[in-house]
Amino acid sequence: MKADAVRGHLDGLLLAVLEPGPLHGYAIIAAVQRRSGGVLELRTGTIYPALNRLERIGLLSSSWESAGERRRRCYELTEEGRRTLAGERTAWDEFTTAIGSVLNPATPPGLTT
Amino acid sequence: MNAAGRPADPVADYEAALRATLHGPREAKARMIEELREGLAETARAHAAEGVPYEQAARLAVRDFGTVEEVAPVCQRELTIAQARHTARTVTLTAPFLIACWFLARTPGPSGTAWQLPRTAQALAVHLAGIAIAAALLAAVTLAATGTLARRLPTPHRLPLVVAWAGTTTSVAMAVATLALALAAALTAHWPLLALAGVLSAASHAVVAASARATRRCARLTLA
Repeated sequence: MKADAVRGHLDGLLLAVLEPGPLHGYAIIAAVQRRSGGVLELRTGTIYPALNRLERIGLLSSSWESAGERRRRCYELTEEGRRTLAGERTAWDEFTTAIGSVLNPATPPGLTT
Repeated sequence: MNAAGRPADPVADYEAALRATLHGPREAKARMIEELREGLAETARAHAAEGVPYEQAARLAVRDFGTVEEVAPVCQRELTIAQARHTARTVTLTAPFLIACWFLARTPGPSGTAWQLPRTAQALAVHLAGIAIAAALLAAVTLAATGTLARRLPTPHRLPLVVAWAGTTTSVAMAVATLALALAAALTAHWPLLALAGVLSAASHAVVAASARATRRCARLTLA
């Protein structure tokens, strides 16, 4: 799936992979790719400003974590982030149900009165 | 080989290109570049762990990451908002000082009207206070619109530019206030308080003007 198609759902994807616990940037990218079976094409450099934005609006919190001589920024869902993720899931379910019922109608048109 | 004669390192080159391209508050920019460099280096290490030679692994990491031309505009948008928020915070903190100058201009001195400013200066102070109130309100709205409100409402594309010009206007008002206070201090017997207010006004002007200038630059980069 192309990066353009993913862009509108990036916030939901990032919140979802952070649901089990805190992760640093590279682990977040790896988790998205692993969960999607490598189908989602992401310009991974654009994930970092997206994480910064989610932190700015209060959906994530972050802190530096030492990894040997290096340090990495670890991100974690806030309570508001969990509520937003639940909302994203509901909206996605409604969307896919609506589109699915148009693309694959249970009853062929013309058979109902 | 790079210009210094060392073997080219795509990760270091990428970092240098980002550093030269991005503009924003020093801390926010440093943090973003550090995160990007670490992520890129980790991607390169992951490729190298699969047996790919480092230089090729670094090139693969850059391919995964996106070119600087692809990544920098997204990073710059975030840095521009960070700079606009910095200016908004500066205006929110310093604009009340202009309002305080207005009160100072209206308050009679201890011995009747000893340090009361001339009528023209008082009218000027009212206008400056009006600018300060408008700028402080806009700054507060900006902080809300780019903070928690951004969860529900899209941030207007031109908001950073509006904040930049509001900051510039406030800094000009502070410069005018500095001149007016310096003049008033020279004309009154009770000059120390007015002179002190003038010094604080000049300092506020310098801080707000620098931040507003940086925001104008960032906003131009984002709108380009």
